[in-house]
Amino acid sequence: MTQAEVITKLQDVFDEVFLAPPKVTPALSAKDVSEWDSLTHISLMVAVERTFGIRFRVGEVEATNNVGEFADLILLRLKGA
Amino acid sequence: MDALSRQPEDVAVLEPAVVVTRLKPSKLAKIRANYLGAEWILVPDFRIRLLEVDDSNARRRYRLTPVGWNSDMDLGGIKGLLAEQDERFWGELSALTSQAARFEEVISLSVLRRRAISSGLQRGTGDVPPQRIAILGACSLYPLHEILTHFLETSGNPSCLFRGEYDNYISEIMEAESPLFRFKPDVIILLPSLQRCKFTGALTADPDTARAAACNHASGILDLCRTAHERTGAEMILVNFMLPGRHDLGELRSRLLTSDWNFRKIVNLELALRAPQYLRICDLEFLTNRRGALESEDARGWFETKQPCSPELLVDLCREAARLINDRRAAPKKVLALDLDNTLWGGVVADDGLQGIEIGDTSARGEAFKAFQKYILSLKERGVLLAVCSKNDHERAIEVFEKHPEMVLRDADFVAFKANWEPKSDNIRRIALELNLGADSFVFVDDNPAEVEIVRQFAPEVTTILLGPDPATYVSQLQDCRMFEPRTLTAEDSQRTIQYRAEQERVAVLSSATDMGVYLESLQMHADIAVFNHIDAPRIAQLINKSNQFNLTTRRRSEAEVMQLIGCDTVLAFSVRLRDRFGDHGLISVVITEKQDQELTIDTWLMSCRVLKRQVEELVIGELSRAALARDCRRIRGVYLRTAKNDMVADLYPRMGFEPVRVAPECGEYVLDLNNYIPVTTKIMSTSNL
Repeated sequence: MTQAEVITKLQDVFDEVFLAPPKVTPALSAKDVSEWDSLTHISLMVAVERTFGIRFRVGEVEATNNVGEFADLILLRLKGA
Repeated sequence: MDALSRQPEDVAVLEPAVVVTRLKPSKLAKIRANYLGAEWILVPDFRIRLLEVDDSNARRRYRLTPVGWNSDMDLGGIKGLLAEQDERFWGELSALTSQAARFEEVISLSVLRRRAISSGLQRGTGDVPPQRIAILGACSLYPLHEILTHFLETSGNPSCLFRGEYDNYISEIMEAESPLFRFKPDVIILLPSLQRCKFTGALTADPDTARAAACNHASGILDLCRTAHERTGAEMILVNFMLPGRHDLGELRSRLLTSDWNFRKIVNLELALRAPQYLRICDLEFLTNRRGALESEDARGWFETKQPCSPELLVDLCREAARLINDRRAAPKKVLALDLDNTLWGGVVADDGLQGIEIGDTSARGEAFKAFQKYILSLKERGVLLAVCSKNDHERAIEVFEKHPEMVLRDADFVAFKANWEPKSDNIRRIALELNLGADSFVFVDDNPAEVEIVRQFAPEVTTILLGPDPATYVSQLQDCRMFEPRTLTAEDSQRTIQYRAEQERVAVLSSATDMGVYLESLQMHADIAVFNHIDAPRIAQLINKSNQFNLTTRRRSEAEVMQLIGCDTVLAFSVRLRDRFGDHGLISVVITEKQDQELTIDTWLMSCRVLKRQVEELVIGELSRAALARDCRRIRGVYLRTAKNDMVADLYPRMGFEPVRVAPECGEYVLDLNNYIPVTTKIMSTSNL
C-alpha cells in the first residue's frame, strides 16, 4: 500500500467520523479543522485502528504533525515493524 | 385499490407498498392476523403504518412494509434529517443511540446531537427540568462526560454536568468551599482511583492483614461518599473497580488476599454490602466481566490521556450510569404478558395435543422451555405479575396448566388468562383495564413476529420482546431486557400476585352484592396509618415512583429524599396499610403534607389503584383533618396537577368536600375549612400513630 492509497482509505474514515468531513491531504492537520478536537481525535484513532487492523504504540500518534506523517505511521504499522 | 377485498394470495406483500382501504387499523390487523394463520402467505409479516385518512369517503392509506425489509435509519439517514431540519431527527437519534454498540458510533451520534441543538432544531417535548450531575474521579472524565450526557439527553432526561479536575476528587469533596458544592449537584458520580486500590504491604502478608486493609480501603471511599452526600444532599453513584485481566501471579492470584485480583474483589464486595441508601453501585466489575477483561483494559489510553478503560467499556460504563440516573425517577414494568405455543412450551397444543407438546426433562427442547418457565416463576416471586395472552381455545390452553405434570407455571401464578382469537393488542388492553394498570407497564413476549408486530402497531406503549426460534436463548433474552430490575426488593413484592387475585375474588363478591355499603362491610377492612419510618422507606419510595393514576401531584422522590422527611418538624408524612378478610394489601397509600402557620398543604397524595372505591380516600382525609386540628391547623390545602395519566383524581378534592380556589384544565387548587368539616364515616377500622 502506498501513502496515497492510505490517504484514500483515510478519507472514508474521516467521512464517517466528521459531520463536515475535510478533504484529506498530506498537509492537513488537526488545527486546520475546527471539528477536530480531542474528542473527535479519540474517535478517529479508534476508527483508524479498526479500519486498518493495526494498533499504534503509546505516544507515537501525537508525534505526527500532519496527515502525511500519520499515513506513513499507518504504513509502518501495517508492515508490522 | 381495495387490497383486502381481493383474493388472499394477492395480499402477500413482497416489498413496501401503499394500500388504500376503508378498513380501520384494528380491522386491518385482525384480517392480517387471520391470514397469517394460513399457509398461503408468502411473506410472513409486514408492518402497518397509517399514512393518511381521507375523511370525505372514509378511506385510509397505509404503508405496508414486510418485516425484515430494512427501512430503519442509519447514520447517513439521520444526517439527512438534520440537514432538512426535520424534527423526526430526535426520535431516530434516540433509537440509534440505544442500539449503538461501538464507541465511534456513540461519539458520532453525540456530535450530531450537539450540531442539532446549535442549529436550533426543535424538540417535541422539553419540559423536563435538567438534573444536576457532577462527575468526579481519578481519571480523565473526557470523553466520559460527553457520552454520559448523550445517553441522558437521548433518553429524555436532560442534564447539567459538572466535571471534576483530573484526580482531584478527594479535595473537591473535603473542601467545603469547592466548586462542587457551589454547583449543588442532585447526583454525584465518583470513579475512585484504581491505581491506589491495592495492598501496599508485602505479598506474603497474612490474610487477616490484607482483609483488614481492603475493608479499610472501602471504608475510606464510603466515608468520602458520606461526606459528599451530607454536604450536598446528592445521591451518590459509585463506580467500583474492574478486575485485572492478566495472568500475573498465576495460581497464587486467587489464593493470596494480597493479590490485586483478590484485594479488589474484597473492596468491591465491602462497598456493595455496606452501601447506604443514598449510594448506588455502578458495577464496573460486572461490566468488565461481561465484556471481557482483556477488551476492557487500555494501558495505552491510560498513559496517553488517562482514560479509565477501553473506549468500548467506557460506553458500557456510561450506559449503566445513565440508567442508574434515569431510574431514580422511573418505575420498572409490572406485568409480563406471555404467549403459550412455542413460548412456554414447544409445539402447538391445538395440533400436537397435551402429550405432544415439548416441556420438561425428557428432551433438550423441553428442558429449555422448562428453564424459561422457572425463570418466569422467579420473576413472579420478585413481584412481576404474569398474564397469558395467547391465540388458543381457552379450554385447550388451560388444560395444559391443569394437567401436564412437567409444567412449572400453574394457573394460580397468573393474574389474567386470555386465550382466545381476539388481536393480542386488544387482549392486553383488556387485561390492563381489569388490573387497573396502564398498558405501558406491560411487557409482551411472543415467538411470532406477526403477533409482536400487531402489538407494536396497535398498543405501542407496550414493550415487546420477540423471542425468535431458539428456546435456549429465551431466559437470557428476558434477563437482558432490563425491564424488571427492581430498585429495591420489599417483602410485599412476593405477595403481589396473591393480592391481585384476591382483588379478583373481591370483584366477584361485589358483582353478587347489590349494596355497596353491605359489600364494604363484608370485607372487614382494617387500616394502619403510620408516620414515615425507616423500615417503610423503601416501599414508600417505590410507590412514589411508580404510582401514576391515583396521584395528585406526581412528585417523584428517591429513597434518600423520603428518608430526609422522617422526623422533620414541619412535615407530616404518613402511609396507609390495608388488609381485609381476603388478604393483606400491604402499604397502599402515601401522603406528604407540609405545615405552615395554620395551614396544612398536601404536597403528595397517592394510592395504589388496587384499593380504589374502598373508602381509603375518605379515611385519609378524615385522619388528616384530625391530625391537622391536633396541630392547630384550620385549613387543608390540596393541589391537583394534571398528567397524561391521573385524570381519575381530577375531581378528587371536590368529592372530598374541598372548596375550589383556582381551577384550570391543567391544575386545580382546593381548600378544606376544618371549622365546618365533619369527617365521613367509613367501613374501615383503623389504627393511627399520627
